[in-house]
Amino acid sequence: MASAAEPPKITLTTSDNIDMKVDRDVAERSILIKNLLEDLGGESGEAIPIPNVNEAVMKKVLEWCDHHRKDPPASQDDDSDSRKKSTDIDDWDQKFMQVDQEMLFEIILAANYLDIKALLDVGCKTVANMIKGKSPDEIRKTFNIQNDFTPEEEDQIRRENEWAEDR
Amino acid sequence: MSTSMRPSFVSLPNEILEAIVLHLDPRSLIHVSCTSKQFKKLTIDSPIVWRHHCRTEFRFWAPQHNIEAKFAGPLSHVDWRDLFISRLRMKKDVTRLLDGLLQTQHGRIGAINAIAAFGYDAKESLLEECACPDDAEDVLARRYYANATLERIQREMAIKVWEDLINGVDIPLETALCAYDIFARTGEDVNFATMENDLDDIAHRVLQRHPSFQELTTRQQAFALAAFLREQGFQGVNDSVYRALRNSFIGLALHSPTHESLPLISVAIYCAVARRLGLDARPCGFVFHVYCLVYAPKDYTLDGVFKPTNADSRDLMYIDPFRSSEEVDQGDLQRVLREMGVPQSERHQYLSDTNTREMALRTARNIMTSVQSIRQSHAGVFGVQTGWLNAYPDMDNAFYSTIWAMLILGPREDEDSTGLSNVSTRRRQYLPYLLEHFQTHYPWDVTLLEEHVIPLFANQPEGGRLLQFVHEMHSRDAKRKERHERSEDTVKVAFKVGELFQHKRYHYEGVITGWDTACDAGEDWIQHMGVDSLSGGRDQSFYHVLVCDKSIRYVAEENIMPVGENVEPSEAMLKLAGRHFKRWDDANHVFVSNVRDEFPDD
Repeated sequence: MASAAEPPKITLTTSDNIDMKVDRDVAERSILIKNLLEDLGGESGEAIPIPNVNEAVMKKVLEWCDHHRKDPPASQDDDSDSRKKSTDIDDWDQKFMQVDQEMLFEIILAANYLDIKALLDVGCKTVANMIKGKSPDEIRKTFNIQNDFTPEEEDQIRRENEWAEDR
Repeated sequence: MSTSMRPSFVSLPNEILEAIVLHLDPRSLIHVSCTSKQFKKLTIDSPIVWRHHCRTEFRFWAPQHNIEAKFAGPLSHVDWRDLFISRLRMKKDVTRLLDGLLQTQHGRIGAINAIAAFGYDAKESLLEECACPDDAEDVLARRYYANATLERIQREMAIKVWEDLINGVDIPLETALCAYDIFARTGEDVNFATMENDLDDIAHRVLQRHPSFQELTTRQQAFALAAFLREQGFQGVNDSVYRALRNSFIGLALHSPTHESLPLISVAIYCAVARRLGLDARPCGFVFHVYCLVYAPKDYTLDGVFKPTNADSRDLMYIDPFRSSEEVDQGDLQRVLREMGVPQSERHQYLSDTNTREMALRTARNIMTSVQSIRQSHAGVFGVQTGWLNAYPDMDNAFYSTIWAMLILGPREDEDSTGLSNVSTRRRQYLPYLLEHFQTHYPWDVTLLEEHVIPLFANQPEGGRLLQFVHEMHSRDAKRKERHERSEDTVKVAFKVGELFQHKRYHYEGVITGWDTACDAGEDWIQHMGVDSLSGGRDQSFYHVLVCDKSIRYVAEENIMPVGENVEPSEAMLKLAGRHFKRWDDANHVFVSNVRDEFPDD
């Protein structure tokens, strides 16, 4: 009785050689996995290797995919230049992204590799929000950026961009 | 592969860093650019970032930017950073000029002209000002003048379309008609581009519905399009609201959910979509109705049969998209003309296609008729009406648009067979209406008058008089207002600027915008109005007032009855008051004066 309603499952093998069983529709939030499955012709039952993502990160990614499994598929609007400027992130995603910086970047890299546009977007917005409102010095500290400008160069950039400061 | 190597911000691939910086506002972008050479390259030195901001921060671009082509073209063809900065500077200039013109009455026309010089680019900032918060200190004035300036800019765009049309530029029918939208309405979706997008979208959906549309015969295409439009809700309008003003505005008809429209507009929409689909359809201005003529390609019949002919004539059919998706029989139309007593020799012109200019003029007449019927049906007590508030688009704006269109598109000296004097007489007829509307509602249009009307009356007495009138307006604008201070001499002036009142005899709602210690009108007016028969005579205080019907009047003190504490200004009043007042002060029950340069103590 249950088997009819049970969603089909697939197996992913992460970079640290862990097999993870997941619902197919959850995994298919990843366009990469979706295309792989289509190429394999569906019912082979073989494990799919994901050599760029380890188990810890994959767990997070799949948690996100599970929460968003019912979302409408991403629009075909692939233009990264398109008309959105809001950095609003919904509450669940915001909480989801409360991880250490390294994990955040790992999720972003995984989303990029697995081709999960919406997750990549949330990740980028989260980083952007960490930048907003900070001075150059604070940004350097937050992200451990080495200042390789001479004081003169720095001054020049500031002068050339004064237009953005006076409100 | 080492798993202990965890990523850092600077190690992220460029494509991801680029995606991140696209989410930053310009200010944050610059802060990031200051952190290191790597990030300077990714931010302020990256044209894609600035193009992104040009696209996301600004929705309205003056036509001369040709912005869609720029966005579609190669990235390197435009200095996007430069363009972005110039737009941002302009935005600040608009705010500064608007702040300035709200401070004092003198120089207002100059300031509005300075903003208008930015053209359509200024729309962004002006719409933001129109949407300023309800609790802004000068909310009414700010919204009023931001909107007035935007209207002034859009009117100029509309006028230019009509001038281009008369000068032989190939203006599509829908653009000439949309100019009425641009002239009389403001708002985010009032835009030539919005109208074009709406039409493109319909054409696109026709092709989705009929993937093999291009293989159909002309007749089949004509039916398919008519049926599709009706199915999408373009079904004209029923008799009960036939005269509603909105039915003559193509932009509104396209963008509103109900798509109500007069026959002329229905036909214009049909023709515009047809052209996008490669179908040759043209309006046919019949008597009391507009039909649509659909032409087969040369040497083909409407049913796609190859039939070469030496003649210029082409196979054609009539349809009536306002009423149905069926073909209209030419014989029926002939018969109607015969029954109406149209002479044989004139019937041809009612059955052939009508040019864009004639259609635009016909729209002006339709709008005029609508305005007149609203005026008649709303004639209120003692001629004071607030019906203007419910009519959309604004009645006065709509009427004003028709006067301009008639002046520009009406017959010219060189083409009227009845002679030169006749043409100028006709044109002269519109002048009083134009001047009246302009003086009462839109004095800041004086430059439009100067640039677009005076040349029409060159070498005629009106030309000289108009020129003088314009100079007077400019010099009055440049001068500071004469100050009316309160002193011992003014103690008898009982009411203050900003007080809301009801006229004792005529009961209309008004607000005081200025005062004189005695009647300051000319002797003629005093006689005509019977001022001396008032109990207080001509030596009582007189008030300049703004009335809820948009009129400006001059009222004796004895006729002014301040409203009670529990009476709030009407919606109509709140909309008008911004011309003289900053906001309504509920605690003190007055409008807060924005004419302190003239009445410093009120």
